[in-house]
Amino acid sequence: MEELKDKETVSRETVDTELPLDRNVRLMSPTQMLLRRFFRSKLSIIGLVMVIGLFVFSFLGPLVYTQWGETDLDESGKTEYTTAITTYTVGGVEYTLHQTVEKTMKDNFLAAPSAEHPLGTDNQGYDVLARLMYGGRVSLLVSFMTVILLTVLGVIIGGIAGYFGGAVDNTIMRICDILMCLPGIPILLIISSAMDGWVSLGWVEEGMRIYILMLFLTLISWPGTARLVRGQILSLREQEYMVAAEAMGFSTARKIFKHLVPNVMPQLIVQMSLSLGSMILYEATLSYLNMGIKAPYTAWGSMINIITTDPNILQNYLNVWVPAGACIVIAVLGFNFVGDGLRDALDPKGRR
Amino acid sequence: MLKYILKRLGYSVLVLVGVSLIIYFLTRLMPIDFVRDKVNSIQTSGATVSAEMVDAMYKSYGLSADAGFADIMQGYFNWLGDLVKLDLGTSFKYGIPVTEKIAMHMGTSFAIALIATIFEFMIAIPLGITAATHQYSLRDYVVTILVMVGISLPAFFFGNILRGVFGEGGLGWFPSLGLQSAGASLSGIDLLLDYAHHIFLPVLTVVILSIGARMRMTRTNMLEVLNSDYIRTARAKGLKEKVVINKHAFRNTMIPLVTSLAGLLPSLFSGAIITEQVFDLPGIGNIALQAMNAGDIPFIMGYNMFLALLSVLGVLLADLMYGIVDPRVKLE
Repeated sequence: MEELKDKETVSRETVDTELPLDRNVRLMSPTQMLLRRFFRSKLSIIGLVMVIGLFVFSFLGPLVYTQWGETDLDESGKTEYTTAITTYTVGGVEYTLHQTVEKTMKDNFLAAPSAEHPLGTDNQGYDVLARLMYGGRVSLLVSFMTVILLTVLGVIIGGIAGYFGGAVDNTIMRICDILMCLPGIPILLIISSAMDGWVSLGWVEEGMRIYILMLFLTLISWPGTARLVRGQILSLREQEYMVAAEAMGFSTARKIFKHLVPNVMPQLIVQMSLSLGSMILYEATLSYLNMGIKAPYTAWGSMINIITTDPNILQNYLNVWVPAGACIVIAVLGFNFVGDGLRDALDPKGRR
Repeated sequence: MLKYILKRLGYSVLVLVGVSLIIYFLTRLMPIDFVRDKVNSIQTSGATVSAEMVDAMYKSYGLSADAGFADIMQGYFNWLGDLVKLDLGTSFKYGIPVTEKIAMHMGTSFAIALIATIFEFMIAIPLGITAATHQYSLRDYVVTILVMVGISLPAFFFGNILRGVFGEGGLGWFPSLGLQSAGASLSGIDLLLDYAHHIFLPVLTVVILSIGARMRMTRTNMLEVLNSDYIRTARAKGLKEKVVINKHAFRNTMIPLVTSLAGLLPSLFSGAIITEQVFDLPGIGNIALQAMNAGDIPFIMGYNMFLALLSVLGVLLADLMYGIVDPRVKLE
């Protein structure tokens, strides 16, 4: 136990008994300790690699893989042969006629993976690999924006509730209770059908749909963060250093955002990385339900939506939709691993 | 206790009023002309809704083109009044009362959710216990990683993979779509087997996706209990490890598990929208999705209120259960 504790808080270098103790040991800041414990877990590292890998793939990938852009159709043409067999009888003798029709089409759609298209082309002739990269940009950016926005909202509202307490706190918490009872996807479906109307009246552009939906998702999903922040602040504000801050005559905003919120940061970061996973799932689900970004642009969820339009793709053209699903799983899994790793690293009981 | 329950009930009603306000105003975001077009297109295609019914609906929702704020509020109170009488109006798309439509399709969703929940508990709890008793071992890691993959799978992706692999065209072990074999007139045990054959893949999807949360919950609680003094005492007095785990430790992890049972109420009845859509099952979620695509306002509002009611009840039940299961908790 003693040995463990030493490893945790200080790392002994060469021990020189002549020197005073504080020169002999290297002190670690809480952040250093957190990082050290985070990187000790293999799962956290795997998660981090997955997340960073996907970011590199989506944002730097298109700089390397330049032969196809997001909206470039492969117009090299495709020839399809259809064979028709007709049987007819002439004078008691049965003849079978094999007729092959050659049909040439403009776009090279549903091409098999080849050197030119490493993951083939989809049902319209877009290069799957290129769209996977550009789609990843949309999925990751939209989810990130949502999480940042909902965290900011949650911190402000939760901070106010926790700091002021009383009637303010009560009102805010009741609003949280109401919002937490709203069903997520069905509410977004209402807004999406309302938006069908706005689009038909020309109030908003179709391309804005996913952003507006995610904005509404932010507006109904901040209570989780707000509750977390409020709970922490309720316990923190009784501490001596807050009495000191009071005595110094600091402004309320300074007390909340400079003295209280930084102490909630660790828990917030865990919450953020876990909600990133769920926001990616939300975005993907909306895209899958055809409420995502407008064609010809794409997102991972929209790339899986292709199978609902053509059932043939489900079994025969795995290269079109499975990679997008794999990307979603990797992203969500990565953020979950990172979030779990951070939480374990922060948990004082979980030391080992 | 009774006072507490009454207080909580009153509070739940307040939450529901708040939810109904939000749902009403979100639905009101739909432009009226658009709604009119939608209703027209539904009428021309199916012609199940009479013109008088639609007019009555417009009026009661304050959906006239020149509706001012007072009309909108009037519409809300009309709707709320009907809601209290359990009258959710008549669905534009299906032409029958919304409550009737919901009741019709709730059975399918409930059956799937119930079977899935039973399997979820049967698999997740033992997994959680072994992971906790073998903490940081290979077994713990393998179980944790597998259930994390389950949590991270999108329902539409995993469901479609199952359809592709095991459904028609793939291995062909299970039907890929629907709840019944088309054209077959089955009865009794055959019909039941046919249903079971059809819902196998949907249930599997739901189970795999939900196992993770339950397993992790069991694991965390088990670890907490295993570190407590009475477990050390049990070991010190020489009890077999099996007895320590199954009798002393597991019983104490039951508290949060039983409490979470009440929280399951919404998911049992609300229907899994995406899973039902993927497998084209006539469950409440899939029906609601189609209604929403058609702009069927009464159904949309009714379904969302139904979901909100379920989750309010779930929270209430969970709190009450907590007091019943754990005598140390005093409800006030």
